[in-house]
Amino acid sequence: MATVRIAVPTERGGLDDFVYSRLGRTPTFTIVEVDVDTGEIKKVEVVRNPGAEAGSGAGVKAAQTIADAGASIYIGPSPGPNAYAALQYLGVKVFTLVGARVKDAIGKILEELKSS
Amino acid sequence: MKDMPFILGVSGGKGGTGKSFVATNLAALLSERFKVVLADIDVEAPNDFLLLGLQDLGDSEDIRTFFPIIDYKKCTACGACAKVCDTGAIVMAKGRPPMVMPRLCSGCKACIYACPYDAIYEGKRVVGKLFIRNVPTGFGSFKLVTGVLKEGEEHTPPAVVYTKRRAVEESKDSDILIVDTGAGSGNAIAAALQGSGVLIAVTEPTPLGVHDLKAILEIAKGIGTKTWIVINRSGIGPKDELLAVAKRYDVERVFEIPYSKEVVLSYAKGKLVVLESPNSRPARVLKEIADEISLLIVEGTTEVRR
Repeated sequence: MATVRIAVPTERGGLDDFVYSRLGRTPTFTIVEVDVDTGEIKKVEVVRNPGAEAGSGAGVKAAQTIADAGASIYIGPSPGPNAYAALQYLGVKVFTLVGARVKDAIGKILEELKSS
Repeated sequence: MKDMPFILGVSGGKGGTGKSFVATNLAALLSERFKVVLADIDVEAPNDFLLLGLQDLGDSEDIRTFFPIIDYKKCTACGACAKVCDTGAIVMAKGRPPMVMPRLCSGCKACIYACPYDAIYEGKRVVGKLFIRNVPTGFGSFKLVTGVLKEGEEHTPPAVVYTKRRAVEESKDSDILIVDTGAGSGNAIAAALQGSGVLIAVTEPTPLGVHDLKAILEIAKGIGTKTWIVINRSGIGPKDELLAVAKRYDVERVFEIPYSKEVVLSYAKGKLVVLESPNSRPARVLKEIADEISLLIVEGTTEVRR
């Protein structure tokens, strides 16, 4: 297993930004491409979340954005029932974690992935 | 008998102003002379039947709205449907056919039109129940149509539109259809009020009443409906602002129902004030409104004699 793309909801985006407290209405997603074995961060992108301004179905739109960005792992607040169903269908693994910087959250989940 | 009944909309913007109170009392009064249908289109919390002292809502049928069914043989997973879906109800995984989230679907059908491969069919989904029954009163009897949205549904307008359409069908041989809407001034309310000959906006002399009255009068302006105002609980606050708003929006008539013990007593009993205390001031004002509406029904016009 080489690299994975991880999506984290953020306000401005970037490795030093904090994990945003909501999934559906988060302004951006920080997409981090990382080598699972070495923990090396290869690429960082920031994408806008159309769910932020959606009338309804924000969580599902956010889930679609994550999948469209090629991410297969999501780290952030617990998704709502609709968003959760969508993430499952889209094959995105969900890790619930808030209150940390993006880089620390990713480090923590990578540890968890390795030990499992 | 006419092809179409006169449609009277009862709304108000703010909740708890007495929309259902006015609608139920008018339905009873008008049923003495006319064939009346009362439609309770407040599908999220319909309770006209409670104000009428009824235990059950009558015969029921399903409220069905559009839901896309995808033909996986024709679908190429192009994503056109997901792109046009305004409510985010269609999810696309790479190279796989779309998945539809039932509760997010508002039934707009945009996906059908967007699909270049004719791979989407019209399916139906049950979003609520519709009830129809006859209601006997001391004056006459009328038909009550009630729409009830299923708990947990995200979209109100489809159920409102369905209930309204059925109510219109049910009043084909009636003289008047009274449409009692829920609170608010969104799409669901506008859809419920469309086609009304007159809209009665029930309000109250409070800052909230004034604020929400403006919203509902704005809706009336948008759909081109004449408006009357009922200031309910008149006397609990100054009415100058309400009257100023009424003037600004060219409201045709302003009625005032005073805050009174008789209304509270009849309300607590689940009885109509026009039957319980017919000589009370509130009952007399309601009678006056019913008489004005009678003129409109008889004349088949919305011109009001002053």
